[in-house]
Amino acid sequence: MKNLIYKDTRNYSPIDVTKGVDLLTGKIVMADNTAPENYELRPKCKFCQNYKEENEFNGECEASMSDPKFFAYGDMDSVTCGMYKQIN
Amino acid sequence: MAKKLKEVLDDAGISMDLQYGGESPEGLTEREIKKSPHPRVQKLKDIFMDTLSSANNEFPYWYTREYMMHDNEIPVVRRAKALRTAFSHLTPVIFPGELLVMRKASFFRGSFPMPWLSEGFYMAHEDDFYQEALKRGSASVDEHSKFGQGGGNVTKSFGKVISIAGKFGMRQEEVPALLKLAKMWAGKSVDDLGNKYEKMVPEYPVKEQIMRSIVCMFDSGFTLPQGREVINYYYPLEYGFDGIIKMATELKAEVAGKADGDGMVGMNRLYNYEAVIIALQGVQNWIANYSKEARRLEKLTTDKIQKKEYKEIADRLDWIEHNPPRTFIEALQMIETIHLAVLNEDAISGMSPGRIGQILYPYFEQDIEAGRITEDEVIELLELDRLVKTSIDCFASTGVVGGVLSGNTFNTVSIGGVDRFGQSAVNRLEYLILEAAVRNAMPQSTIALLYDEKIPEDFLMLAMDVIKSGAGYPAFMNSPIAQEFLMKQYGPEGMNLEDARAWAIGGCLETSPCAWKPLHLNGKEYFIPGGAGQPTSVGVHFISMPKVLELTLFNGVDPRTNEKVYEPHNRKLNSYDEVWDQFTKYWQKSVEVLAWTNNIQHDIWRKNNMAVINSLLKPDCLDNGHLINELGYRYNGTFNIESAGTITLVNSLAALKKLVFDDKVVTLAKLKEAIKDNFGFKDAREVNSFSLADQEKRDDSAGKWEELHFKTLQAPKYGNDDKYADEILLQWENFFCEDSSKYESLYGLKMYPCQISVSTHGAMGSATLATPDGRLSGTTFADASMSAYPGTDRNGPYALLNSATIWDHSKSQNSQLNIKIHPTAVRGIEGSRKLLDLTRAYMRKGGFHVQYNIVDSKVLKDAQLNPKNYRDLMVRVAGFTQYWVEIGKSVQDELISRTEYEGV
Repeated sequence: MKNLIYKDTRNYSPIDVTKGVDLLTGKIVMADNTAPENYELRPKCKFCQNYKEENEFNGECEASMSDPKFFAYGDMDSVTCGMYKQIN
Repeated sequence: MAKKLKEVLDDAGISMDLQYGGESPEGLTEREIKKSPHPRVQKLKDIFMDTLSSANNEFPYWYTREYMMHDNEIPVVRRAKALRTAFSHLTPVIFPGELLVMRKASFFRGSFPMPWLSEGFYMAHEDDFYQEALKRGSASVDEHSKFGQGGGNVTKSFGKVISIAGKFGMRQEEVPALLKLAKMWAGKSVDDLGNKYEKMVPEYPVKEQIMRSIVCMFDSGFTLPQGREVINYYYPLEYGFDGIIKMATELKAEVAGKADGDGMVGMNRLYNYEAVIIALQGVQNWIANYSKEARRLEKLTTDKIQKKEYKEIADRLDWIEHNPPRTFIEALQMIETIHLAVLNEDAISGMSPGRIGQILYPYFEQDIEAGRITEDEVIELLELDRLVKTSIDCFASTGVVGGVLSGNTFNTVSIGGVDRFGQSAVNRLEYLILEAAVRNAMPQSTIALLYDEKIPEDFLMLAMDVIKSGAGYPAFMNSPIAQEFLMKQYGPEGMNLEDARAWAIGGCLETSPCAWKPLHLNGKEYFIPGGAGQPTSVGVHFISMPKVLELTLFNGVDPRTNEKVYEPHNRKLNSYDEVWDQFTKYWQKSVEVLAWTNNIQHDIWRKNNMAVINSLLKPDCLDNGHLINELGYRYNGTFNIESAGTITLVNSLAALKKLVFDDKVVTLAKLKEAIKDNFGFKDAREVNSFSLADQEKRDDSAGKWEELHFKTLQAPKYGNDDKYADEILLQWENFFCEDSSKYESLYGLKMYPCQISVSTHGAMGSATLATPDGRLSGTTFADASMSAYPGTDRNGPYALLNSATIWDHSKSQNSQLNIKIHPTAVRGIEGSRKLLDLTRAYMRKGGFHVQYNIVDSKVLKDAQLNPKNYRDLMVRVAGFTQYWVEIGKSVQDELISRTEYEGV
């Protein structure tokens, strides 16, 4: 994966909705700035095989047990989700 | 240019001198005491100072997803399952340098909405939010990253950030999800269901009018259903989470299928214990996720010290996930975790840690004795605790967060008081709590000093130093008076003197029932105090007394909106007694209808949204198997009736009595005409200042009301040891304190008075016309309940204390007096001594609460003009400390205009 923005990487700890700490440099960086190339992808619904996008921000979680499937939103963290399967 | 009231009065030779006891020095006077936190804390504090209040949907998403799957489950178990799933999915965030970890949400200062309480707020704004979220995105976040005058408040949307409630920033990517979640709760939330059933109260239309005219500030059932109470950390400290789960599992087997003589809720114990186990599993998973994150960071970092600290964090979390803490730092981390867990369970403002110096003392004492920790290390941890607490936000609507709370969350720590045997409870750790509070001065935790004559003198003098740092804490609370109140209110539920002595402040200054429990550490037994009562954020909140008087004078119609609020009384109001009598009738009507409707809201809350985690912490839920909703707490009579604008009402009644009925210098009809015409002045919102002195005359007024206005301003005022006004206060207090007990909470227990204003004196003043005391339309009421109206206390602080103590404070949950003193008036040890003498005099007269703003008014004026230079300036408002830049202008104006004492 190239051109990840900071908030889509695991090397970033969010301080607030605009910025966070770059955990490798210790510097405060903007959430939407591009991170260095080698930074690790942050598990999020939008990077998960179970996420079926329906519109710009929302979709459906195919792994949900409910019928119909429960919605999901692409930008949600999946760091703690046991059903997360990273897309190739 | 239009003349300001101050200039009009100067022309007439009447001074609006807001200084007493001399003149303040020219130039800006700094506060005397200034200290800095440890470098580690300073670094994290610097981050906080530039952090925006941020919200996301992680918790509500997982809560809703799980909850919606179990529509056939027992409500308490269904809720516990939803909580478990939500806690288990919270993304951990740890910042370099932290020693105490875990956050409400995955930000430094994060929170989240709870649409199961109220979703209408988002729905009503759906189109606006949605469109705004889609449209934005081209603007650069970098460009606006410094946005937000008002500290961390996200007052406007910018870039990819959407402002919600004028306070919280949410990423635009999340807003459509918020709206989707909100829709799922439509018709199911406490707000919606409560409203469906409260409409069945025949007087409901009156309630609606009361809310629209801002006679009452908010519904407590779905805004902040819990809080203003003291948490209890005892069970996890004594047994650990595994221990509690084991206990609940055994008790579950014991009670399964058995009513044990209670045909109503006896069987529910089984489900309640099951819910306790499930909810705690969620908390354990949450801790485990943080531990994993700490271990991940340990591997990631190359800094050896940081690596070691991450490892220690992970080790601590692994231990407390299952076991009772062994050391001071483990105990502190554990209570931090529990605190945040409870705050995540419900929308809560005012979950106070209580007497943590006494709760943590066993660990402190043994660690110090064993050489495991130094006092300096303890201070550093206590400084970090202040940072964690100040980073807590409470997510609610603009009216609640801004209008009532000024963004404050009231995690008040209590110090002092007495032990089970009536001796001073002060210990060495409490000295360090004060030291940390002055070194790392931040709004949370605000500190309440429970005053007793037995408290050591050097401790009180240290408290004076902290006050002189300008932090606005500690506030002084009268311990014997509080105990008297508790015995009266909770005696019928079995409160004895020993439990009364365990009391602490919940919220800003709500006297809250507590209890002692025996903690065991390495074979030694300690009795520690902790909360044992339901929230006191519940009941009727807040009723604007000046507005009720206005409606009395105008026959039940709000002259601002021309809407009928109450049935017209059609009385002539020919005497003061008749005015008083009608005022009390409208007051009682308000309380009655608000009590009934709020009881319904709270009843809906307890049926579907009951506290599981908070309940399991409170004596005696684990023992009796009943949670909060089934009177499982030891003390349940906590519903109260909150007043606002006490002194504005007292001064108004004094002016009416004097000018209309005693001296007959004006007819009531003429005075009402003047009030409607705002004495010839513009409305405060037009002027954009909310202090009386700054109000501007209208060009068309031609001095029509000038003479009458002067007379109203010069009528007797509270705060001068003048019986004419003070006896009206006495009349009010005697009525209010007795009347409150006539109303019944949904738990079938009597209510009681609560006399704090928080920030309602700004918002409620804004919706009230001019008052008979000469206050002008839209301006702020007098702060608190015992503070004098700005500029009207002209006989010195001791006269003010005499006025405030004309009534018996033990008849109320609290009272509230704030005094502003110039730093030079209390300089040096002699100044500290004078301040202590003043405080002690008030306590000895029976006053319940006093606190000081040690600040130069000129500094506040400068801060209003140049907020960027004053990011860390803190002030005392009503019962709490807050950053100057994070409070609304109406309250700022009132603070500036308060009488400044140049000598005490």
